[in-house]
Amino acid sequence: MKTLEEVLVDWEAVIGLEVHAELTTLSTKMFCGCRIEFGAEPNVHTCPVCLGLPGALPVPNRDAIESIVLAGLATNCDIEKRSMFYRKNYMYPDMAKNYQITQGPVAFCMRGWLDLDVEGPGAKERFGLTGAKPGQTCDGVSVTEEGYRTRVGITRIHMEEDAGKMVHLGGEGGRIAGATRSLVDYNRAGTPLIELVTEPDLRTPEEARLFMQELARVYRAIGISDCSMEEGSLRCDGNVSIRRRGDVTLGTKTELKNVNSFKSLHDGLTYEIRRQAHVLEGGGSVVQETRHWDPAAKWTVAMRAKETADDYRLFPDPDLAPFDLSDEFIESVRSRLPELPGRKAQRFVDSYGLLARDARQLVEADGFADLFDGCMAVAGPRAAQLAKPVANLLINDVAAYLNERGADGMADASIRPAHLVELASAALAGEISSRQAREVLWVVLAEGRDPAGVIEERGLRQISDVGAIEAVVDAVLAENPGKVEAYRAGKTGLAGFFVGQCMKRMAGKGNPRVINEVLGSRLA
Amino acid sequence: MGPHLTEDDVRGIAEVARIGLTEDELARMTVDLNAIVGSLAGIFEYDLEGVSPTFHPIGGLVNVMREDAETPSFAQRQALSGAPHEQEGFFAVPSILGEDGDR
Amino acid sequence: MMLGLASMTAREIRAGLLAGEFSAIEIAREALERVEREDVRVRAFLEVSKKLALEAAARIDAAVAAGRILELGPLAGVPVAFKDNMNLVGTHTTCASKMLDGYASPYTATCVQRCLDAGCIPLGKLNMDEFAFGSSTESSAFGPTRNPWDLDRVPGGSSGGSAAAVAAGLSPLALGSDTGGSIRQPGSFCGVVAVKPTYGAVSRYGVVAFGSSLDQVGPLARTVEDAALALNVLAGHDERDCMSQDRRVDFTANLGEGVAGMRIGLVRSFMSAEGLSSEVRAKVEEAAAKLEAAGAKLEEVELPHVKAAMSAYYVLGPCEAYSNLSRFDAVRYGHRTPGCESLAEQYEASRAEGFGPEARRRIMLGCYLLSSGVYDRYYYRAQQIRTLITRDYAEAFGKVDCILAPVAPTTAFGIGEIGDPTEMYLADMFTTSINIAGNGGMSMPVGLGCESGLPVGVQLIAPAFRDENMLRVAAALEREYGAALVAPGFADERAGE
Repeated sequence: MKTLEEVLVDWEAVIGLEVHAELTTLSTKMFCGCRIEFGAEPNVHTCPVCLGLPGALPVPNRDAIESIVLAGLATNCDIEKRSMFYRKNYMYPDMAKNYQITQGPVAFCMRGWLDLDVEGPGAKERFGLTGAKPGQTCDGVSVTEEGYRTRVGITRIHMEEDAGKMVHLGGEGGRIAGATRSLVDYNRAGTPLIELVTEPDLRTPEEARLFMQELARVYRAIGISDCSMEEGSLRCDGNVSIRRRGDVTLGTKTELKNVNSFKSLHDGLTYEIRRQAHVLEGGGSVVQETRHWDPAAKWTVAMRAKETADDYRLFPDPDLAPFDLSDEFIESVRSRLPELPGRKAQRFVDSYGLLARDARQLVEADGFADLFDGCMAVAGPRAAQLAKPVANLLINDVAAYLNERGADGMADASIRPAHLVELASAALAGEISSRQAREVLWVVLAEGRDPAGVIEERGLRQISDVGAIEAVVDAVLAENPGKVEAYRAGKTGLAGFFVGQCMKRMAGKGNPRVINEVLGSRLA
Repeated sequence: MGPHLTEDDVRGIAEVARIGLTEDELARMTVDLNAIVGSLAGIFEYDLEGVSPTFHPIGGLVNVMREDAETPSFAQRQALSGAPHEQEGFFAVPSILGEDGDR
Repeated sequence: MMLGLASMTAREIRAGLLAGEFSAIEIAREALERVEREDVRVRAFLEVSKKLALEAAARIDAAVAAGRILELGPLAGVPVAFKDNMNLVGTHTTCASKMLDGYASPYTATCVQRCLDAGCIPLGKLNMDEFAFGSSTESSAFGPTRNPWDLDRVPGGSSGGSAAAVAAGLSPLALGSDTGGSIRQPGSFCGVVAVKPTYGAVSRYGVVAFGSSLDQVGPLARTVEDAALALNVLAGHDERDCMSQDRRVDFTANLGEGVAGMRIGLVRSFMSAEGLSSEVRAKVEEAAAKLEAAGAKLEEVELPHVKAAMSAYYVLGPCEAYSNLSRFDAVRYGHRTPGCESLAEQYEASRAEGFGPEARRRIMLGCYLLSSGVYDRYYYRAQQIRTLITRDYAEAFGKVDCILAPVAPTTAFGIGEIGDPTEMYLADMFTTSINIAGNGGMSMPVGLGCESGLPVGVQLIAPAFRDENMLRVAAALEREYGAALVAPGFADERAGE
């Protein structure tokens, strides 16, 4: 098979995503008061409603409706005031009622979009942008300094309920094939789920991956889901087809399933594009089917070919009153809309002069942007001055600490903005080196102490006093007259030796910048 | 008035409805369903152009919601009390091979 | 000592209890004994909840003994029996289906709980057409219930057990559910007061669903006042049923006001309907005349689209039923065919064995009518017709306060007499349009038919959430005709007093 790069020379990929997100920040399920909890004993968070017992009736969770409206506002959707819940009828054991409550042709949120900034190596997947100048519009996207920006249309976001979970026994590796029996746990049944469907606007696996990451950031920023692909609170199916460059009609698509990481999405789509090209170039035709991504084998496997379109016998659920959302309701939700990641990054650039890349890194890491804002508040009038050192501490040192500790975002570390500001100003003033700042930071984070105390205790504070350093430099030069002569004769490599000797005398606390300056003037 | 359902049509419906019918039952069901569908002619008696449907009687109820507050759940034993077949706290079903493999 | 419960009303029982004439335990014992003795002939009960009845009675007696009489509810000491599609912890909920044979619900329906909270003595669960699909109670998987007025005839259905239990004096009150006439038609066949309130007046939570947009719970009793007392207990908002509304009134308040000045409508197309028997027509006309004589003003009203009601009903009901009954899959509860190797086989075998012929027909019909391409022709159009019928009633009620109509085209037919499903469906011809529109309707006994000598009820139809209108008219008719009688052969010794 050709590589993705080779395929994309002749073919254009057309990708659309269906993204399910569980509203994990709610207390209770979509239509009953059972608690939402991951990993509990089986069937302990169940009641007549989510077990589908005879006679039980659903009542929608107000916070779930607010959450989906919030999601719609955050993704530039039109909020449809009038909509209904429908029943999607099909029998499957993990669905207690044997119908799923979902929405019909009109969803709460319709016609939205998100902008993606595609940069770095991944931007190269987009064919035909080489040589384009920033500011140009090319192939429907706008070219930027470091890549390009593209707008992805969102068809709709609708509200539905999740199914229970099944365990398959007797087969290999928990798969359905070969299993002799399956077990059902309805704890997850009825968990509020929002499904977002994109327009087929994505053209590369990288764009699909970035879209998912951006969406996860948005959902986390508005506090509606923890968006964990590993735990299944964020799930994604990809529809992908390819067509000859220049063709207008769409090719036959396949649906990619079992994508449980951002990387799987990228790799699975890449494989599918390559496979489809291989099939088509070999004179074959793509079969419309669902294909399962196998991350270990790094290929996709056909599941079931759809001979006929599924007929879910959708009809409005008579048990649930229709919705006619008021302006007040929508506005009250809008008032809870926080600053979204893209806008926030732009503000960091505009207000504090951060590099666009650094600003984006801050908003992409969980909790960093809030911490950065906290630091800037503490810094007050010195905010502009301290912005870069604070950002660097966060992006490099705090991130490295969290990475090593395997901490789950910010949750496990108690990081106080005042401490970061204190460290950044000490480093800026030359009181400690950046290496020392990092050392102090780790103690501060691990032990929850304040930086000044750690600096004092470890005697880390740098000596920058010119008078004190001059005395040390003079003593070192006096002790090594031969080397001074050699230096003056042109052996300038000895500068390092002198600095080292000074540092030794000062127990490592001398400010290297000042030592260098004094040495320079004495040896001139 | 209504379309005529063949035995094959009815077999297809039974598959979706998950009701296993014998050939005799299928023949009888085909006769019954055609008779019933034929009796629904009243549906076509009026010009319904421009008439909006009423999916919920006694209109006017909208936005009925509950607060996101927890209510007691069943104990596991209670949840499983009606289960025809259970295993280790789960509901148990035979092999689901052949079912819609979408999950 | 015999209390003579058979002929006593709910109000009289409660009053006697409060006056200290008898205890709740005496009521419970006599009621249970009567059921044990008399129900062998009628077979109204699928289960007698003896333990629950005695426990409830003991609680009431304890309250009386402790002087907490004010705490006693409006149904204190009153035996009540429930249609077997209503969940009650401690009993089985079978819906008269093999599918749910032996199923014990772990929760109680709101309407049942309200009766329990009101101090009732729960006597047990009543027979019905399987999953409420039918008009005769013959489709019960546990055998038919017999009409106490003529044991060779059906009690009507689907709440046939409820109507028969009340008519036989086995319980002064019973609850039924009505999707297309299932309270009113057996009420007419058995000669009891049978009320389907406005959709949304009584919670559906815990009542096994048939047609969710049509189902409504209501009381069956021998007097209008008892029915109104029961409605006072049943009605009101339930946060577990989205479609329930808080539109409570005191349903007993205007029972004595008479009909002077009330405008009562007669539907011409109903009165001239093909299939309406002359004895039933005569009874409706007689009732109209009596109401006119009592000061009501009779008016003719048109319901131009009501002709399509039967068709719309037999689209909507089966479609909703197909979906509602898909949960019976032998996974969480219900009949399971043992030994199946695959889930597919287990589904098909269990559902084929668990559902009777009429349930299968309705499920299959709904499954077909909702399918892609068919939906638009049937389901969607049926919902458009709902709009027109709702409008028809709204316009009619602009002119009148209550409509008088037949309930069923005939009096009770014989067991086994009607075999063809579409012929059976005609029993609902005057009742389904009310479920489609959602407003309230009731059957009021007006004596015996001149040809069959069997009970006949007339239907009173009220505007949405004005159920008190029809109760007021019913009370006036009750004064004309006298309170409904316990069926001959079931009255006890005190009945004649």
